[in-house]
Amino acid sequence: MAVIIVKLFTIQILEHDEWSAKAAAQQTRQNVLPAKRGEIYMMDGEEPSPVVLNATVYTVIVDPMIADRDEIADELSAIIDDRQIASWDDVFANRSRRYYIVGKNVERSAAEKIAEADFDGVWLQANTRRVYPEGILASTLLGFVNSDGLGQYGIEGSLNKTLAGKDGLLRTVKDINNVALSIGNDNIKTPPVNGENIVLTVDKSMQRNVEKIIEAQTEVVGFSNISALVMDPNNGKILAMANYPGYDPADYGKVKSASDYINHVVDDPYEPASVCKTFAFATGVDYGVMTPETTFYNTGSTIVDDWPISNTEQGPEVAGTQTMQTAFNYSLNTGTTQMLRWLGGSETDITGLGRTRLYEYYHDKFGLGQATGIELIEAVGMVQKPDAEIWGLNGTYANMTFGQNMQVTMLQTAAAMASVVNGGKFYTPTIVAGKMVNGKFIEAESKPAVRSTVSEATSATMREMLYGTRRMWRANGTDAPGYYVGGKTGTAQIIKDGAYSLDETSATYIGVGGTEGELPEYLIMVRVWEDGKKAGGQSVALPVFNALKAYVQDALKIRPKV
Amino acid sequence: MRKHKSDRIIGALTVILLGVGLIIIYAIGPMRVNVLNSTYGVDYSENYFFIRQLINVAMAAVAFIVAFKFPYAKLRKISKFAIILGLSLCVILALLALTGSSVAKCELGACRWFSINGLSLQPAEVLKMGLVLYLASLMAERSKQGRLASSDFWIPFGVISVVSLAFVVVVQKDLGTGVSIMAIILAMLLMSGVKMRYFLLTLAVVAAGGVIAIVSSPHRVERLLTFQSEDSSDSYHIENAKIAIGAGGLLGVGIGNSVQATGYLPESINDSVFAVLGETFGFVGLFVIVGSFTLLLIRLLRVSNYLADDEESLVVIGIFAWLAAHVVVNIASMTGLIPLTGITLPLLSYGGTSMLFTSAALGLALQLSCYTEREPRKNKITVETSSKHGTDQIPQRREGMIKRRTL
Repeated sequence: MAVIIVKLFTIQILEHDEWSAKAAAQQTRQNVLPAKRGEIYMMDGEEPSPVVLNATVYTVIVDPMIADRDEIADELSAIIDDRQIASWDDVFANRSRRYYIVGKNVERSAAEKIAEADFDGVWLQANTRRVYPEGILASTLLGFVNSDGLGQYGIEGSLNKTLAGKDGLLRTVKDINNVALSIGNDNIKTPPVNGENIVLTVDKSMQRNVEKIIEAQTEVVGFSNISALVMDPNNGKILAMANYPGYDPADYGKVKSASDYINHVVDDPYEPASVCKTFAFATGVDYGVMTPETTFYNTGSTIVDDWPISNTEQGPEVAGTQTMQTAFNYSLNTGTTQMLRWLGGSETDITGLGRTRLYEYYHDKFGLGQATGIELIEAVGMVQKPDAEIWGLNGTYANMTFGQNMQVTMLQTAAAMASVVNGGKFYTPTIVAGKMVNGKFIEAESKPAVRSTVSEATSATMREMLYGTRRMWRANGTDAPGYYVGGKTGTAQIIKDGAYSLDETSATYIGVGGTEGELPEYLIMVRVWEDGKKAGGQSVALPVFNALKAYVQDALKIRPKV
Repeated sequence: MRKHKSDRIIGALTVILLGVGLIIIYAIGPMRVNVLNSTYGVDYSENYFFIRQLINVAMAAVAFIVAFKFPYAKLRKISKFAIILGLSLCVILALLALTGSSVAKCELGACRWFSINGLSLQPAEVLKMGLVLYLASLMAERSKQGRLASSDFWIPFGVISVVSLAFVVVVQKDLGTGVSIMAIILAMLLMSGVKMRYFLLTLAVVAAGGVIAIVSSPHRVERLLTFQSEDSSDSYHIENAKIAIGAGGLLGVGIGNSVQATGYLPESINDSVFAVLGETFGFVGLFVIVGSFTLLLIRLLRVSNYLADDEESLVVIGIFAWLAAHVVVNIASMTGLIPLTGITLPLLSYGGTSMLFTSAALGLALQLSCYTEREPRKNKITVETSSKHGTDQIPQRREGMIKRRTL
């Protein structure tokens, strides 16, 4: 008896903590109380309308110890159908394994049948899954939620934390069958914090129509990829952001490659090329080194540090003394290069001052080569610093005046362009309009401009230059009287395997428009490309822009000046 | 000896321990019901085990009182009948099991119970009672005749002992009960007055028999080998018993707060109830319980030692060994001191037959406690002649008494 008492003293007093820890390890159940993932809305006129919702689906679990294979196998397979993920042989291979997931993502109707049948040893677990009432609408913008419940790409990826909320925790003492008990003092219940329902600035019907138009335009212009952006240049709000082709977010696994998930508008830096002449001339005009009427002598090429810069379009009509407006209209690289020399206080050389001033505008003011701050995962891009210790820095800077030797996103270009035409105010592009709380739309405060880029006078001059170049090329007369529409083309070579590809170019068109005599009310940017094909800004991107412009002008109910 | 008042400590401890058993079954019975219902899809009501235990305790109380009141003088006359009854029941059970009758209740190939209309009876318990009564009678008679060394004693003693053990250990595969029967036989033999060398010889035979019994059964070899190893159902059982006992700490988690009883600990209401008691009442509670059993056993020894009549004294020794074997083997199993041996904790474990016969045995011991002398046996050889039962004693008998050993 004394031995027993000593042994009891050892177990209960000396080793008490050790045994208590073992007890807790097997007796405690930690359950995550899943937070409800926030839903995503787009604007439908003035009211938000859901584009990403949650639906309850069910996981079917079988306890092979209790379940009768003969009773359930055929019947349950028939109900679960293609959602069955385990073979009955596997399920019943080891009966002591009391838990086997037989079906996933089983719809409510099927789950109800299973519940009704009341099979022994079969139970259901409810899970939520994303559903997309608008189908593949805005897939590259919205992203998807993977099987681990993590948002990937798009809004789902960038705002995953906000959407996901915070899971709660339930810790209870449990019995051997995992049933929670009311015994014990350290039971914890932290309720989940549900994710926020996000409302996007994107207009649902505009998004749908932009997608329809660019899909149709791939046939018209004969290129496989088109990305398009519609934004309000006076506040940075994104009205539509589309990439064709997209994918089905409900079946996101079925894509050819992961690049299909990429939102090219924000996450794919490229060279927008001559579109950037707008920024070069805006810099020159703002520094007072030029006006649209300032002239230079165009020989078709010019030498920068022993390297020739030549024009793509060089005919007799642009030879000799020409205005800067003509250089803009014919996209003369020699013109923008000359502007860069003037910017540095020289007639003949590109100087450090010129580089510093261009960088100040390109990078610091227009935000090229910087993340814009939009609520999406975006690429940063790259603009070479004016004092960078690289070979051919002046050549690089000359190239930058016509949008080459730099990497920027469509969105960076669009945000910069918006500030050039709206009076010089740079707005951070935004795609989140607010949130839905208990069915009510709570609008986010609109943010003021973060900085000024060019003066109002420069802005007005640039609007005229953009209008002028578009008017000059408007052979088909798509712009009705009473409207202002300005824009610029760009055709850029593509870097493939570290070098410029000779047989592929990407076409860009960026344009702004509104009522004649007023500030532009929309900005549309288009990029067209296809692997191994040469796309020209004028021939390919312009028609897509025109098609979108016609729709947007109409959708925004923009009236002509009377 | 004139009849006097009974040993109140024995009576009180019996009642107290039965009460504690009732409380613990009240607390953990519903947990056991829950485990059975969800695991086997049966539908027992929440207080199924408590109500059954109430009935068991009531029956045990009746058995206790009947054994206390029914004069031993009459009982001793039917001691032969008792052992025949016990062995007969074992034979009948074995035959029923062979025919596959549902009356023989078997678990994992071991048929140990009769089961009729939900009432079950374990014949091994009857056998224990029969053995105590019969062996006491046989030993006292041969001792009185001075023929403890003759074959008149050893043949019936050997045959009955071996047959009893064979039924329990071999036929019923119940090593736990075998251990307690062995304890009864050896303790009674030790105190019977046989020469020490005969006792030691018997002990050697038993040890040899024990080795054979273990080696002959792969199941038992495995048990012995896996004792304290990590990966067997026994080690799981002992581990969880120790978790329960250890988690109890100094004062325990309190009545109804045992978590180990919610399915982690096998046999929580039966053989493992000691571990649940440890979780519930802590070291203090177990100290009191172990102390109570110790006190009860000491009182039984004292009664035996103060009884002048050999047969009565041996009956109480048998009861002492019976109780002691259950208590020690059960608790030592639960605390991992010895390999796991399935055996009930007297008066506390859920289970009708065990409780019924333990109570009856204690009732009988209580009755006999009314006839103790003022002096212990070894001191009162000279006054032996005045004893009620000892008037016809012969000198050799007294010599034997001097040689008696006390435990």
